[in-house]
Amino acid sequence: MTPSVRDVLQGCAIALGRPMPPEAGPDYAASRMGMVSMLTMLAAGEAEQCAGAAIRENAAIRAVLDGAAVKYDARLAGRLAAAAAGEDTDLSVPALDGANARLRGLLIELHEAVEAANDAATDAQILALYGRMAQLRRLALPGG
Amino acid sequence: MSGTFAEGLASYLGRAWGETVAIENLARISGGASRETYRFDAVTPSGQQALILRRDPPGSLIETDRRLEFLALKSFHGRGVAAPEPLILELEGAELERPFFVMKRVDGGVTASPFQPMAYEPHAAALGEDFFATLGRIAAADPLSLPIAEAADEPALDACWKRELDYWSDVIEADEQHPQPIVRAAIRRLRANPPPPAQKLSVVHGDYRSGNFLHDGAGKMIAVLDWEMAHIGDPLEDLGWAMDPLWRHGETERVAGMVPKAEAIRIWEQASGLKVDPAAFRWWELFASVKGQAIWISSAKEYRESGFAEPILAFSGWVTARRHDEIIAEQLQRSWAL
Repeated sequence: MTPSVRDVLQGCAIALGRPMPPEAGPDYAASRMGMVSMLTMLAAGEAEQCAGAAIRENAAIRAVLDGAAVKYDARLAGRLAAAAAGEDTDLSVPALDGANARLRGLLIELHEAVEAANDAATDAQILALYGRMAQLRRLALPGG
Repeated sequence: MSGTFAEGLASYLGRAWGETVAIENLARISGGASRETYRFDAVTPSGQQALILRRDPPGSLIETDRRLEFLALKSFHGRGVAAPEPLILELEGAELERPFFVMKRVDGGVTASPFQPMAYEPHAAALGEDFFATLGRIAAADPLSLPIAEAADEPALDACWKRELDYWSDVIEADEQHPQPIVRAAIRRLRANPPPPAQKLSVVHGDYRSGNFLHDGAGKMIAVLDWEMAHIGDPLEDLGWAMDPLWRHGETERVAGMVPKAEAIRIWEQASGLKVDPAAFRWWELFASVKGQAIWISSAKEYRESGFAEPILAFSGWVTARRHDEIIAEQLQRSWAL
């Protein structure tokens, strides 16, 4: 996912270490520090949950791909079935994100095929999956 | 830049105005993530002016045309819309090295973050009346008679939707760094189900929403800000953007944290003399969320490519992007199934 927790924390460190130009003024500097503070708090929450969210999302996508694999042309069906049979063995965040990118790419292809076939049942299943994916990745603003 | 920012600005304005200029109280202010924004006072032998300078940043959320922004302000200043008065447009950058423009500053107003709960109480209803009526007046104006027509394209009535959808889907195509199935599904649904032609051409502010205006704290808007995405198009585009759930301050009933949706539409229709066709508006509502997601995707890319230097780009590319995925997924399930 982009930006990753690593990207965000790296950016916070850079923002904290870089002096403000004189024309920025104290109000802007304070506002910027407020943003860095919020990003750091969000990153703390994301660091705890991002691996679990990726594992659950990957499993949910594989389940949909598995169910749909038999419905479409052989080439797509074979790729869907192979992806659906996979599992996350490397649980590092970059590896999980890499697997997630491949699964999301296949999900896009599947949804395009579903639309072309006017397959309302699988479409409903995929739209429900989108809702679940968005919930899994939800970021709660501090105090929100 | 040789010398300080203030010295460069004083030198430029002195040349432009033909008199000596001293810059006082210069400070950068937050907001308008596509431009660096500064407040300052320009002191000359003939008097003192309270001003704002908006300069192109090295990296930003979106590529926007400062000439269009300048002309949009010029189009509405003094015409029943609280648009600040634009004064000077510099396209080459001169002493400040990047393009910028200067406009009069509106003092005494407050703004609100769209993420702040109950931001406009106890005057939310009055402010909602002003907010949606102002948008209606922008929609009612004939864009071809306004200064913005000097620089803005004039799409055919039945091409407004396609031009905008093509533009923002191209942004996603170019800037996506991790596959985004949710917004891509929305783009395909929009393309397969186009809206009816626009009922008229209007100036579209492009970022008319909660948080992008100053109000007096008593229910009246005193400045409409951030015209950087202004263009000519379907008036429903701005209405869809203004009502997007992202800008609702976490509320479910009131749009923009001000008034119920039906009331907002009534106010807008009365001020614009136009009608909101529910089928067309459903399209522009989903489009608004797609456009938002395109901006956030672009912002995430810019954050990475600019070396993670601007925290606002992280916030947009991460927090608001995730929220818009939720909003789009909810819309797709609710009213866009096959």
